[in-house]
Amino acid sequence: MVPVTTTTLAGAHPGTTPVAAAVALRGITRTYGDGPTAVRAVDGVDLAFPRATWTAVMGPSGSGKSTLLHCAAGLERVDSGQVLLGDTDITDASDDELAALRRERIGFVFQGYHLVGALTAAQNVALPLRLAGRRPPRAEVHAALAMVGLGDRARHRPRELSGGQQQRVAIARAMVTRPEVLFADEPTGALDSTSARTVLDLLGAMAARGQSIIMVTHDPAAAARAGAVVFLRDGRVVDRLVGAGAHDVANRLVGLER
Amino acid sequence: MIGLSRATFTERWPLFTGAALTVCLGVALVQSSLLVLISAATLPVPAGLDPAARAAFVDGSSTAVTLSALTLAFSAFLAVFIVSSTFAFTVAQRRQELALLRLVGADRGAVRRLLVGEAVLLAVVGTAAGIPVGIAATRFQSGLLAGLGMVPAGFTAEWRSWILGVSAGVGIGVSLAGVLVAARRAGRVRPLEALRDTGGSARVMTAARWGAGVVFAAGAAALVIIAPVGGAAGGQAMAANAALCLAVALSALSPLLVPAVARLVPTRGPIGELAVAALGDGVRRSAAIAAPVIVLVGLVLAQAGMLTSTAAAGEAEQRRTTAGELVLDARGPVGDRVTDLPGVAWASTETVLPLAVTWGSGDDVESDDGQALVVDPAAYATAHPGSDAVAALHGRVAVAGPGSGGGSPGDTVGVRVGDSDLGPLPIVAEVPDAISDGADLLLTADSVPAAELAAAPSRTLVALAPGADRDAVVAALSAIGPVSTVADRIAADAAGRDATTVAVFIVIMGLGGVYALIGVVNAVVIGTAPRPAEFATARLSGLTRGQVVRAALLESAVVTTVGLVLGGVAAGASFVATLAVTSRMTGTPTLVLPWDLIGALAAGLYLVTALTSTLTTWSATRRAPVALLGAAT
Repeated sequence: MVPVTTTTLAGAHPGTTPVAAAVALRGITRTYGDGPTAVRAVDGVDLAFPRATWTAVMGPSGSGKSTLLHCAAGLERVDSGQVLLGDTDITDASDDELAALRRERIGFVFQGYHLVGALTAAQNVALPLRLAGRRPPRAEVHAALAMVGLGDRARHRPRELSGGQQQRVAIARAMVTRPEVLFADEPTGALDSTSARTVLDLLGAMAARGQSIIMVTHDPAAAARAGAVVFLRDGRVVDRLVGAGAHDVANRLVGLER
Repeated sequence: MIGLSRATFTERWPLFTGAALTVCLGVALVQSSLLVLISAATLPVPAGLDPAARAAFVDGSSTAVTLSALTLAFSAFLAVFIVSSTFAFTVAQRRQELALLRLVGADRGAVRRLLVGEAVLLAVVGTAAGIPVGIAATRFQSGLLAGLGMVPAGFTAEWRSWILGVSAGVGIGVSLAGVLVAARRAGRVRPLEALRDTGGSARVMTAARWGAGVVFAAGAAALVIIAPVGGAAGGQAMAANAALCLAVALSALSPLLVPAVARLVPTRGPIGELAVAALGDGVRRSAAIAAPVIVLVGLVLAQAGMLTSTAAAGEAEQRRTTAGELVLDARGPVGDRVTDLPGVAWASTETVLPLAVTWGSGDDVESDDGQALVVDPAAYATAHPGSDAVAALHGRVAVAGPGSGGGSPGDTVGVRVGDSDLGPLPIVAEVPDAISDGADLLLTADSVPAAELAAAPSRTLVALAPGADRDAVVAALSAIGPVSTVADRIAADAAGRDATTVAVFIVIMGLGGVYALIGVVNAVVIGTAPRPAEFATARLSGLTRGQVVRAALLESAVVTTVGLVLGGVAAGASFVATLAVTSRMTGTPTLVLPWDLIGALAAGLYLVTALTSTLTTWSATRRAPVALLGAAT
């Protein structure tokens, strides 16, 4: 396991690491609203997510972990600071550049699956490639579905699949473009424990093959599967654990919620 | 991306079918009105007609041209309005789905291209269906014109093959116009919106809506202000356009106005509360349903109110500007025979001749058809209070009559009455314009050949001397021709005009009104399509299926009520203009509202929205609520 290189509030300089991180956040802040009701969801976070590592981001409700993920993925603009995807500074990327990044360099998995209901599993998986102007070979799409164990469900529509199966289709869709980074926002949040385990096994296998994964979760069992866990509270990074078990992660989280 | 559109179609067919249907009917309506207009405008005058029949034919076909032109304008406006509002609404309804595409990497251009491509496909389908529907509509419209006596019997609108190009252009043009703004806006949808459970979270009052609302409201105000100087015809046109502008303005502002007005509608109980809350929450949907209601009600009320008010003002004006007790219908100038009768104080004989006026010379000649009245100036001035200017009429000159087509004082115009060319005549004076129209030129008998005069129909207004034996005078007049009282004659004229008014109204508004009504149905159906999950949540919170249907029904009734109120406000612009026009033309501001029609329109709208809402909600709550919530994402 490669350890998380930068964790503290003041932070070391991610730029000094020999290989550029998969994603690096440099002093980013994000505030919602203004005046007395303003909420600083992310408050000066310095963080580097190393390559080929599965990093979990944890924290109590409202700690800013989803916002952090959205900022890191370019779905949300930061008010200040800098977001690097590999060597690319995406802080001020244009809307179309960000769309291209989503097609080519990053993948998403969300709690609510967010598949296009009208399309079959195979069509959903092919969608990012189609949007990139490619006509994907059937084998490529099929391989992505087979990787998540759904080779025989290609022609099913989302509503004909269970939650766990839909989430695996979403993973296949995210992975079909071979993204540099996979962002997962509570990927097991809506799943029963068996389906959740299947999904986590899949993510684990992908990480073992060198996939960079950044996952937000509030489930200590899920976080413990990751190589490193970063803890947030009130929009700041307050702790990290490497190679901890579910019990330690849970204890640390309970400590934060006090 | 076509595969995506195709897949989306099977999923969301009410949206696409609704959009294609509006294109289809819009194309049909415009094509039909255009064919009828072209055919009416190129209608050849049959050979071998006598001058009077010829004049009647020309008059009839020029009325048909005017009516078809108005019908075409109304149809074209409705096609643009209904298609663009339907397209914008379908795009808004798909916002979450489009955000999802953005999330997996679609850039703005891709979203725009997808929507525009779909719109073109829908336009092609709609146009292909619209052309045959248009042929049926043409048959219906020309049958209507013939049935109402607006065109000679046997009139048929001819098919022109170039109309195919026009219809294709209309179909694709209005679809593109409708989708471009919506697609541009949809391209800017943020990917994160896909993650929200409730779609349509976008701001509904856009800058474009504000802009359109303010510009069209200002246009309506300007038209109301200048309408009185437009004369009878111009004033009416401006009054109608004022209502049209205000209806567009109110539709644009409807996301703001509909919830605001809806709060004033009293509702009670949890179902009422739920209905009003849903209306405010789904403001985009409420606005989309209200918009065609506003336009339909606004235009129908404006047009009908204006026609009935003008007719009433015209009748009152005729009563005021016509003296005498009796009217005698005869042929030729019978004035002397009437004045010689004992008991007659005075008589004014007015002989009616078909008139053609020409201006200019050489290649630059314009001509206009109308009506000439051959009068005795002194008697005319007595018979028509307020027309003293007619005293200037003597010998071979003309005076501009109460109709407005003859020219103005100072002009010299070429005059032709019946078969006789009278050569150029100077117009030396004018009597006041009448709102009820009338003869364009007044002439003396000196200008017109005696034979022409003797064959023409005439009416003679007769006043009785004090103490005269009325029955004896009537008996003596009856020897010359049919006699009636002035009051009866004016009432009969008004009744005839009312019948024409109704006919005109049906021709212009009939099919267009049905089209707008279908637009309303469409909006209700499209608005209900994404609501099964919402209904399921309500049922899981303890409402029965019947209560959910009732809440949706109440919601659509409230939206319809708001649409009626705002449509009434839009029509109000034309009512203000009508008051100003009638006041300026006749001295008395007149507004007569067709309450029967208003009642029928309101009842029809409530019925249609209630029926559509009940059916669509019933169908959307068919499945068990738990199953629906499971499939919600």
